[in-house]
Amino acid sequence: MDGAKVTLGRTAALYAGAAVLRLALFTLFPGLPDLLTGRVEISTPVTSFKRLQEGLFLYNHNVSPYDGGVYHQAPLFLPLFSLLPSFATLPIFTYLLYIAVDLLSASALIKIADSGEAGSSVHFTSPRREKRWSGFIVAAVFLFNPFTIATCIGRSTSVFTTAAILHAIAKAVAGAPFSAMVAISFASYLSLYPLLLLPPLLILCYDRRNALKPIPSRYNFAVSNVALVVGVIAVLFQMSRFLTGSWEFLPSTYGVQLTLSDLTPNIGLWWYFFIEMFDSFRSFFLAVFWLHLSCYVGGLSIRIRRQPLVVLTLLLGLFAIFKPYPSISDASLFLAMVPLYRHVFPLMRYTFVIAAVIMYTTFLGPAFYHLWIYAGSGNANFFYAITLVWGLGLSLLVCDLTFAVLRDEWEVERPEMVGKDIRQI
Amino acid sequence: MSARRPLNNGATSAKSSPEATIPPTVRPETPSNDAADTTSARKQPPPEKPSDVRRRTYVILSFWLIVLLLGLPIWWETTTIYRANLPLSEMLDWADGKACRPVFPLRISIQANSLHEQEAQNLLRLTQHALDDLNDFSGHHLRLQLSPPAAKEAEKDDAGAALTIRLIPGESTTSTLDPYSPILDITYPPHTIPSATSSSSSLATYVASQLRATFAEEQAIISYLLSSDSMPSDHRPQGLTPEAADSLSKRTTRSLKHAPTYHLTFSLFTSGPLPSSWDIEAAIAEFMKPVLDVLSPIHNFTIDTQVQLYATPGVQNQVLTKEDLSSFINAAEWPLSPSIGGAPTVNFIVFVGNQTILAAPQGSPDETDRTSQSWLIPQWGTVYLLPLPSDTTHVSAEKLKQPLLTFTSHLLSLTGTPQSGSLPLRLSTLARIRSADLLLRASSTLGSLARLALALPSISIPESVADGVSKTMSHLRLACETLGGAEGLGHARIAEAEAERAFFEKSMVGQLYFPDEHKLAVYIPLLGPVGVPLLLGLLNEIKAWRKRRRERAEQQATKKKE
Repeated sequence: MDGAKVTLGRTAALYAGAAVLRLALFTLFPGLPDLLTGRVEISTPVTSFKRLQEGLFLYNHNVSPYDGGVYHQAPLFLPLFSLLPSFATLPIFTYLLYIAVDLLSASALIKIADSGEAGSSVHFTSPRREKRWSGFIVAAVFLFNPFTIATCIGRSTSVFTTAAILHAIAKAVAGAPFSAMVAISFASYLSLYPLLLLPPLLILCYDRRNALKPIPSRYNFAVSNVALVVGVIAVLFQMSRFLTGSWEFLPSTYGVQLTLSDLTPNIGLWWYFFIEMFDSFRSFFLAVFWLHLSCYVGGLSIRIRRQPLVVLTLLLGLFAIFKPYPSISDASLFLAMVPLYRHVFPLMRYTFVIAAVIMYTTFLGPAFYHLWIYAGSGNANFFYAITLVWGLGLSLLVCDLTFAVLRDEWEVERPEMVGKDIRQI
Repeated sequence: MSARRPLNNGATSAKSSPEATIPPTVRPETPSNDAADTTSARKQPPPEKPSDVRRRTYVILSFWLIVLLLGLPIWWETTTIYRANLPLSEMLDWADGKACRPVFPLRISIQANSLHEQEAQNLLRLTQHALDDLNDFSGHHLRLQLSPPAAKEAEKDDAGAALTIRLIPGESTTSTLDPYSPILDITYPPHTIPSATSSSSSLATYVASQLRATFAEEQAIISYLLSSDSMPSDHRPQGLTPEAADSLSKRTTRSLKHAPTYHLTFSLFTSGPLPSSWDIEAAIAEFMKPVLDVLSPIHNFTIDTQVQLYATPGVQNQVLTKEDLSSFINAAEWPLSPSIGGAPTVNFIVFVGNQTILAAPQGSPDETDRTSQSWLIPQWGTVYLLPLPSDTTHVSAEKLKQPLLTFTSHLLSLTGTPQSGSLPLRLSTLARIRSADLLLRASSTLGSLARLALALPSISIPESVADGVSKTMSHLRLACETLGGAEGLGHARIAEAEAERAFFEKSMVGQLYFPDEHKLAVYIPLLGPVGVPLLLGLLNEIKAWRKRRRERAEQQATKKKE
């Protein structure tokens, strides 16, 4: 009883600390939010707060927000931000909204961590599960991650997607498929790519739900949940159409993500590739890139069927590398999920290299961007090289985590091999 | 001792390291307590569980399903080249001149009011014979017709006739060309009228030779156009001497490329602060407008003017030699824009200064093009040196008369108007030359497009190009039928514009050079690294499956034996 209270108190203190830190950054450094909003590492064309304000202005003046060709975000952001007091006069409410969303994400993360799903899923129990971090630490790692803080201060709208995804996972872990499906529909509505998380999320829901109360038919379960997602998204689309008065938002939001028509540099791998691409091959390679992004879903879901949360984590990592408009916000979501696997950290082999590469690119990326855009002493290749290294660092982390999780599984089957080196033949 | 053989444990392989094994570590100094080591130095891995084998198959299948079900159709859909059907053989026929024989039937009406119907008919027949005997070029036909005497007043309406011959009884055989209308007056002594039975007549021969002389230049120009193009040789005129061809080619290079609209820029340049104004509008209206009006069926003109003070010419010499003329225009500083609004610009420059031009040596071929004060720059315009008292502030229209008359004659020359004959004749000739020129140019563009489509099988041909080609061909056909008339010129003009548009289609130009090796360079860098693991995974899986089947067959065989 006491322990619970203490935990509660600690969590509240954590939330308070994170909120105060963010508020302090917002208020003590008034130039910082706008500086971060302008950074390509934080604001992509589909998440930028600046573009949101442009859309908001048009929306409030009864012009279609998509007319300027600047705003590429979901229409439902517009009434949400219109309800807040004007950003120009009272920015504090916007700040508070973003802080609240971050704290919501953290609370979802605590639920996921405390469920212990990472260490022992329905079909698999890791022998190392005792050595784990509590929800408090996982949430702290998320809330005080500089990437998360920068995203929050930069007011990128991807924080809403992050919160929706984390809540979907938390609900799935709690065995509440309905809420999980609604949450993932919201996430997909906001930024399209979370739709790819649906298969592993369904598996996770099914496993957890089945353990609580046996489900008679898998097939019915899958179909009804997919129908639910389709239904929720359809409702959201209808609301959007009602708000903007036409289906114009579809090509301007999802169309831009699918066709990469805005080639503003970002930390991903797509923009440079498609700047260089021959026009006649552009549509083909767009399809290749999207297929590449989605082809991992099936393979990973089948291979790590026994630990669906691992699949979700790895997919988030892959999306942070390979999605069309990635930002450090996607990386921060992935890095928030990684501490759940504290128990397999000893099995990872490249932790130092990964940490070094991520730090290296974190500092060199902005420097090279400055050299290219402002100083003019570098060119696009400088920045692109750094984004490649950034992708390399994240993919090393994804691979290493995959390896560690699979090794963990394998050692359960082959206990005599615990602690032995492996080699490829 | 703990020397172990690599253990194949594919059953539990990690995806990132499909064949994880224990390495053969040899550590003699640390005695092992492991029971497995003591029992067998080289341990084989346990066999794969069937569920693991099946799972691996599913994983590989899931990747291949995406490749086959989504990747391949998308690849097919997005990289198929759309090639609209072009009537290639017809297009090549046009380019080779097989589709159309450019024939210019010129109707010439004879007015012989003082002759009897019968006599006139007879004279006409004889003259036609004489003309046909003289003519060596089938493309250029002179057809005589007798205009009824009643139509005398309506002769202006007789637009179909290129020339009217008025036969007037007189004392001797003379001919004069009316300078203001296409009429050739021929006087004849009455006794030269041929009798109904005679088979030759000096008057008929005279008329024929006069006609031929009148149209000699046009004929030469058209035959030059046809010969420089890829016309079949049987259709090509023979009578072109090398000198004539040379002078014609000079004239063709001098004249501007045909355009429906020309932009005329009149510029007053002066090296000092004066004069600062000129009466150019009045001068143009008075001296140039009549000619522009006459040219208007063939070309439209837009006009602008400018005055530029303190303009230093490229050459400061007092006496300009022939070599100086080419560098006189100070292209770097004078604001002479190359073309405004897409129409080609003709520049007319009045330079106020007292420089003079060194007269060209006698016998120079350019002699006729140049007065002592002006010279013509091929395909560009004219410069006129106007000497004025140094305190003139305003150039009156009267002072501009001579420059503008020069400009006018140079404009005719720049538009490619023939030099001999009366003005109406020259203009109607110009229309015919232009239509022949456009017809040939459109045909050769069609031919280039057809050859391009044949030579580059990988170039895409959008629907708009096919559309342009079909429009071009229909207008070419119409132009060919109505060649020589105003209609023909209009059709030829449309045909040429459409052909150019089809040939320079934007999406095709980008693909002009795209050999198949480039495709390799496009596909390999990304799809190579992605494809190798996919293919190897599939191959391994097939190999393993065949091995399993063989083993099962063997097992069954041994069972049967037992």
